[in-house]
Order: sequence, then C-alpha cells, then structure tokens
Amino acid sequence: MEEIARDTIDEGDAIIVEHLSKRYRIPHERKQTIFEHLFSLFKGGAYSYEEFCALNDVSFRVRHGETYGIIGPNGSGKSTLLKILAGVLYADGGVKIVQGRIAPFIELGVGFQPDLTAKENIYLYGAIMGLKKREIRERYDEIIEFAELKRFENMRLKNFSSGMVVRLAFSTAIQTDPDILLVDEVLSVGDESFQQKCNQKIGELRSKGKTIIFVSHSLETVHTLCSRCLLLDKGQVIQIGPTPDVVHTYLSLIGSKGASS
Amino acid sequence: MWITEYRDLISILAISDLRVKYQSSVLGFAWSLVNPLLMMLVLYIVFSNVFHMSENQYALYILIGIVSWRFLQNGSSAAMTSIVGKPGLVTKVYIPRQVLVLSSVLSGFVSSLLEFLVLICLLIAFSVPISFVVLLFPFVHLLFLFLLYGLSLSLASLYVYYRDLNQIWEVLLQAGFFLCPIVYPLSTIPEQYLPYYMLNPITDFIAIYRDIFLYGKLPSPVTIAIVVVSGIILYLIGRFLFGKLERRFAEEV
Repeated sequence: MEEIARDTIDEGDAIIVEHLSKRYRIPHERKQTIFEHLFSLFKGGAYSYEEFCALNDVSFRVRHGETYGIIGPNGSGKSTLLKILAGVLYADGGVKIVQGRIAPFIELGVGFQPDLTAKENIYLYGAIMGLKKREIRERYDEIIEFAELKRFENMRLKNFSSGMVVRLAFSTAIQTDPDILLVDEVLSVGDESFQQKCNQKIGELRSKGKTIIFVSHSLETVHTLCSRCLLLDKGQVIQIGPTPDVVHTYLSLIGSKGASS
Repeated sequence: MWITEYRDLISILAISDLRVKYQSSVLGFAWSLVNPLLMMLVLYIVFSNVFHMSENQYALYILIGIVSWRFLQNGSSAAMTSIVGKPGLVTKVYIPRQVLVLSSVLSGFVSSLLEFLVLICLLIAFSVPISFVVLLFPFVHLLFLFLLYGLSLSLASLYVYYRDLNQIWEVLLQAGFFLCPIVYPLSTIPEQYLPYYMLNPITDFIAIYRDIFLYGKLPSPVTIAIVVVSGIILYLIGRFLFGKLERRFAEEV
C-alpha cells in the first residue's frame, strides 16, 4: 500500500480510506489439491483466472463519534469494505488508516465451541474479541447478567437454544469496549425484549462517543441511526452525504435498475 | 509483538483445544496416555525378536522414541488444520493468524508433556537411575516446540491452498516413523551413512531424549547444534511461506 501524506491525517478522523481497491480472483477451474495442480501441469493448462473488481477507488473519512452508514445493493462491495476495515481482507491498492481500537461485529459468536460451557465460551470469545483475561474476569458478571443466563453458566453451549447463544455472544462482544464498531446487520437478533436492550446498548455507545460503522439493508435503521451515509454500487462510491439525501439517491438507483431490467 | 499482545488469547485457545479434545471421548484423558504404552507393547513384541536387541531396556528405548515421535505426529497434524479448521476466526474477526498455529502447537506441547510424565513414572518404576541431566529436558522440549512451530507454519498455510496435503503428510509421517531410530538401534545404520542419517533433526531429538532419560549422559554438542540450526531454518521457511500465503487466507478458507 502506498503512503498517505502525513499532514492530511486528521486526529479527529477515526477512519481514513483513500483510493482503496480490491480485486478477487475467480479461477476458471477451481484447483484445491496438489494432485489437481500436477494434473493440470501435465495437461499444459496455465493457471487462468478472471478478476472481479469488488472495490474500485473508494475514498472516505469517518469522524470520531460518528455513526456512519454504508448502503448499497447486493454485491456492491459493502461487506468487502467492512472486512478490509476489520483487517480480515487485504486491499490490493490504496490506503487505510484506523485510529483507535476496532471491533468487528461481522458475525456474532465467532469461535464458540459447542462442547464448552457458557462460562468457558465467554472467556474464549472475549479473548477472540480482544479482551485480556483480567478484563473478562472483571466484566464476567455483567456479561452473564446482561445475557440473562446466570442459571446456565455451567451448561454446555450445545444444549443452548439459538436465541440464548446469540444473547451470550452479543453480551460478550459488547463488553469489548472498542473505539470503533463495525456492524454488519448482526443486531437484528433475539426476541423483541432483547432487541430493545441491544438498541439501548447501541444508543449508550453512541452517546459515549464511540464511532460506529453500520452496514445494512434496512433503510429504516440507517435513517434512525446514521447521520451520514456512503452509497456503494458495483464497488464504486456513488454518493457520500447526509443520510436522507443518500437514501433518496439509493432509492432512485434501485428504481432505475428495476425499470431497466 | 503479536505473541505478547495476544498471549491471553493464545493460552485460552490452547486450553479450550485441550478441553474439547479430552472431553470428546469417554476415557479421553486416560486414553491419550495409554495409547503410547499399548503401541510400545506391540512394537516390543514384534521387534524384540527381529533385532535381538542388545539394549537391556529395549521397551523403554522404544517408548522414548514413540513419545518423541507422537509430539511431531500429533502436533503437526493438528496444527496443519488450525487455519482451515477455524474459518470464522479467519474471515469474521481479525487476529494474527499465527496465533491459531501457535495455540494448536502449544496444546500439542501440553499433551506431550503429560506423555513424558508417564514415561518418567515408568523410568522410576523400572528403577532406571535418573541423572541430573534430566533437568535439560525442558530446554530440549522447548527446542522441539520451536522446530514444530516453524514446520507447522508451512504446513498450515499450504494446507489452505492444497487440501490433499494432509493425506500426503500422513504418508510422509508413516515413512518418517521408520526412517527414525524408534524401533531399531542406531547401530543397524551402516557406518558410512550415519552422518547423513543424523542430519534428520527428529533423529537427533530422539537421541537426545534417550541420552538424558535412559543413559544419563549429556547429549553431544553436534546433535544439539543440528537441532538448533534446523529449527531456525524451518522457522525462517515457515515464516516466509506463511507471510506470503496469509494475504489470501480469508478468500480461500
């Protein structure tokens, strides 16, 4: 990745992204074994693949304390962008600067072990989300209270209902205390009352001045939560601006697509 | 550095690994200790007549070989699948991927320590004189851990792209079992080949363990040197490969 000029880095920015691009390789023939590779060597076929441009020259900045929405139709590159921000995927070009501790909520309960108890899983998942053992110990009671699973703390996770698992995951993840949250529509989980608790918690984080990057299909949630939005289509930035404007563009974009097809 | 920053995660992952492993079978823990003993018994019965061993502690001689070998075998096989086996930790959150390999190797290390503990108990039961050189064991075993980690970096990252590597590795391990002096004495190797034979670091590890546990003598500096140098070489290769291949892990897993 190329460097970014020092004087353009603003301390007030949580995320700076400039000219980011990402290309996926789609091989013509998927070869996953040594045997297949050797075989194709003898056949004389070269390794051929097509490139698919998932992100093309994407630039934007997010201020600290902002709740920032990323919207766009399916396959527009939203999730790819989020994964690059999280550090899971590497970009092929451009610069990414993240100032602060970042926590990806791309999927809840990553790394949960069904054969371990709820308590063991809290420690495991907490550590995966970047907490130290000491921090988990300190927050353990709060986590298990919030999940409303105190009675089941020594039960193995495989005996939990899916709703209980999600509650446990969210309660743990929310304790990681990041500066920047990356959220990929994972919050639409659990029943009504837990949903309310989640929204309350998100509101709390916002008022604490946390930065939240929010990827969603639900325009309603984006409307209520995000002040600014970024609209992606086919890997390119279409518009950045106040949420109502961007949503308006998005709707007309979908409308025109619907009309043309 | 990532090791210090993520040490809590590394240890929790390794412990969870061990918990799952030992919970999943009824006798779990006991089995994993009985297994090498049973294997020793079989090999002893089969080979004690073949080689007419001059070793008076032939059973323990075999057991040391088996227990050392099992660290390599179980450790490398588990570590190879450490990236592919936990796709969520690769594609959904960011942690340095070396953490997965290291924690897997470490859980193998703990299992191996327990097996060596059984070995030591047997040594005492057979009233083998224990000499102070036994104190070298932790250092030697840490060297083995280092070598295994370097090897596992290569295996784990290659396995992401070549999913039949585990089959190939299994065959190589099978061959390696007989290429190392586990069941036969070193004296069966023709003298002119011996220097080459000793270049295999696993052979040297086994020789070192026998020196410190069975013969009560200091391992030769040459064997130590080979073990250290090959550990460093494997680590450098592993680090290089892993660094190269890691960039597309999230797309391939």
